[in-house]
Order: sequence, then C-alpha cells, then structure tokens
Amino acid sequence: MKTMKVTFHVNDEKVTLHVRPYETLLETLRERLDLIGAKEACGVGACGACTVVVNGIPLRSCLVLTPEVDGASITTIEGLGKDGKLHPLQEAFMEKGAVQCGFCTSGMILTAKALLDRNKRPTKKEIIKTISSNICRCTGYKKIVEAVEKAAEKSV
Amino acid sequence: MILPKFEYKSAENIAKAIAFYERYNGKIRYLAGGTDLIPLVKLRLSTPMAIIDLKEIEGLKAISHQGGWLVIGANVTLFELKNNNTVKEYFPALYESLDATSCETLQMRGTIGGNILQNTRCLLYNQSLEWRTARGFCFKMGGETCNVVPNARACFSNYCSDNALSLMALSASVKLVGPRGERKMPLEKIFSGDGRNPFTLMPGEILTEILIPMKRSKGAYEKLRVRDSIDYPLLGVGVSTKGNAGRVCVGGIGPSPLVYNLKDINESAFKDVAEKAYSDARPVSNTTLSPDYRKKMVSVLIQRASKKALQEGK
Repeated sequence: MKTMKVTFHVNDEKVTLHVRPYETLLETLRERLDLIGAKEACGVGACGACTVVVNGIPLRSCLVLTPEVDGASITTIEGLGKDGKLHPLQEAFMEKGAVQCGFCTSGMILTAKALLDRNKRPTKKEIIKTISSNICRCTGYKKIVEAVEKAAEKSV
Repeated sequence: MILPKFEYKSAENIAKAIAFYERYNGKIRYLAGGTDLIPLVKLRLSTPMAIIDLKEIEGLKAISHQGGWLVIGANVTLFELKNNNTVKEYFPALYESLDATSCETLQMRGTIGGNILQNTRCLLYNQSLEWRTARGFCFKMGGETCNVVPNARACFSNYCSDNALSLMALSASVKLVGPRGERKMPLEKIFSGDGRNPFTLMPGEILTEILIPMKRSKGAYEKLRVRDSIDYPLLGVGVSTKGNAGRVCVGGIGPSPLVYNLKDINESAFKDVAEKAYSDARPVSNTTLSPDYRKKMVSVLIQRASKKALQEGK
C-alpha cells in the first residue's frame, strides 16, 4: 500500500515522514522518531499511558492515525524540559515520589501539563478529575495528585 | 495492537465524503474522534477498505441557535459541548451526561455524533479475533448463535452512549445526509432494536447535526459505573422535564434505549415509570455486573434522577 507524506512539529522540531495510512501516532513516535516516552499499555484508549499533547490537547496517541496529525504541533515527554532543565511538573513528580514503576508517568505528566496550561490554579478536585483519565497500576494516585498541586503552586 | 491495512482519506465536505463512500463501494468507515472506531478496527470487528476522516469538515464543528433549536454539529467534541453556556443553563441532563462520559481526555477527542453512533458492546464481542475465533462467532459477528444466552434468537449487546439518553430525554432530533439526500428525525428513531446492526441509518449516511428544542429544562443523568472514570455505563438514566411534561430514558441495557413520556410530572408518576422500566428492562450477563443488580438499579436510578429533577429544580 502507498505511503503518505506527513509533516508536523514534534517538540518544536519540524519532521516530514512517509508513513503507512494505517499507522498510529504512537507507532510513528516510538518506531520512526525514537521517542519512546509514550508507552503502549492497553492499545485501545482506556489507560492513557500513550498520552501526548497535540495542539494543546492531550490525546491518546494509540487512537490517532498519523495522517490525522498532518500540520499539527506535538509535545511529548522528551520535549517538556527546556535548556537542560526539567519542567516543574517533572521536578515535582521526583520530589513527591510520584513515580513508581514509571509506565504511566509520561502520560500522567502530559495530561497534567495540558490541565495547567488551561487552568493555572486547579483545585484538588479538578486535578483528581483530570488525572482520573489515566490509570496507574501501582495505584500511586495520591502522590501524583500532590505532585501536580506542587507544580501548580510553583508555576504561579 | 497493530491496525490492519486500510487507506486514509480526509474529506473537506460532506459531498466529498459521500463520493469516497461510492468510490470504495461502501467498504469504508467514517472517522470523527476515533475513540470507538479505532479499537473496533484493531480488534478486527470492523475491516474497512478505507477510513474517511470527517474532522476537517468546517460545517460540522459549530454550535448555533436556529429558529427555536440549538443546532450542534456532529463533530463538536464532548468537552466543548460540556463547557457551552447554553447547555449548562438550559439542558442540565445533557451537561451531566457529558460530564459522566468516559474521562476528560477522551471527552476532548470524542465527538457528540460519534458518541451517539458508537457500536453496541458485549463482554463476549469486544475481544480480539483470536479470542472470538476460539469461542465461535456470535450473531453480531455474523454467526448463528448468542454466546451469552443459550438458544437466544436475538443479540443482547448493550448500547452504551450516555449522551443519547439525555438528548432523547430532551426530545432531540438528528439530521442525516447520505447518497440519497437529507432527512431529519427524532433521535429515538435511529435505533433498530437489533443488536447486530443497531441503527436505522441507510448505507453511507452521515449524522451531521443534533437539534434540541430551545426550551429551558430541568433534569439529571444518573450512571451506574464501577470506576467513576473511563468506563461505559452499565446502566444509564436520563430525565428531563419542561413545564408539566417529562421524559425518562433508560440505556446501557440491550441494543435500544427505553423511552417513557410523562404528561404530568410528580413523584407518583415517576414511581410508575420506575416500576414499568424495571419490568421492561432485560439485562443479561454480558457486562461486569450481574443482570439482577442492573435490573434492580433501573428503578433506583430513575427515582434518584427524578428526585434531582423535581426537588433541586436544576
């Protein structure tokens, strides 16, 4: 089958690729661009481990076809830190011990980032509601919520 | 999970989408948010030759007021609709069902049109090809039997849209455009009652608009779920009242929702509906909760939702 030419920005870098029409964004990121921070867990959009931010919106990249993101601007966990410095969310996750096995972490942080970008001071209830989009099978939710609260305080 | 081969086409307008439908002899699936479609394709429950993306069609993204109706484009995301002021103010049942749908991230991707036209679900249907082959195909997969109820003659898969229930409670209509032209009908008329093919849409038809009468309503949506996030309703109840009239919709049990009209709303009228719905509902063991419990919860949730609609005066 013919490949399709797709151009988009990943972490502020322009990429042009020839992809299969039935390729998911998660496959493109992991297998073509070596951005392996986004993880495949359930593969059907239920868990959120593959979350990346596309045009400001957190998306499950296992449900998105790469041709759909032609022209989009994508942020993955690899692009969150700037100039050798970690993002406040990443620091807060370390500080609060919010990382256990780490498999859900990149999705959690990107979901939280999209929340903080649209709401600088979310309440604890709002954080819990947003974070409930993602599953942590170590069940370390309490520390994850604390870390997001901490990052929100810091960024103000 | 790896997707099977298909072609991808993006349609700029409805006419082009229908042209693609004809070009591929109908072997296509229309794509909006993809949160229902992509998992179905991954599980080989749907094997289109091409996927036609409708997301770029400008006309499907707007919410507008037109002659006594709130007109919602089918591609408006659930999250955007939830945050719409008219919805919050006029249609509390719809606001609550949108808020109860899955989780925030999926609300940002999933569209209202796609939510309404999601396929029915069953514990023994939404499985991989290997799993289903080992078990033997059921009615919904083109087989000769139901794997849940022995000797059944029908498919008992469940229709799991939260928002269709509140929209029907609000007497919403839908506009469909297809190869044979355009038509408008009440939302409840899109259900065929047959779990194998749950909708009455004609081949190639696209749901373009959802229309709600612009009349202030009171109402509520109650959902039976186990996780409070990312899960489908194991039972859903939408209640909406306008003046003295009301409507109760029960879904998540079987392929087609139950709809009850009330001419005079009061506590005893809702109690009658709760009893009637309890005897009408026929849940089977095709979800993670027992059919007995789901059946009992039908009347509980109707009373809960109607109490909210009556007392809180929302």
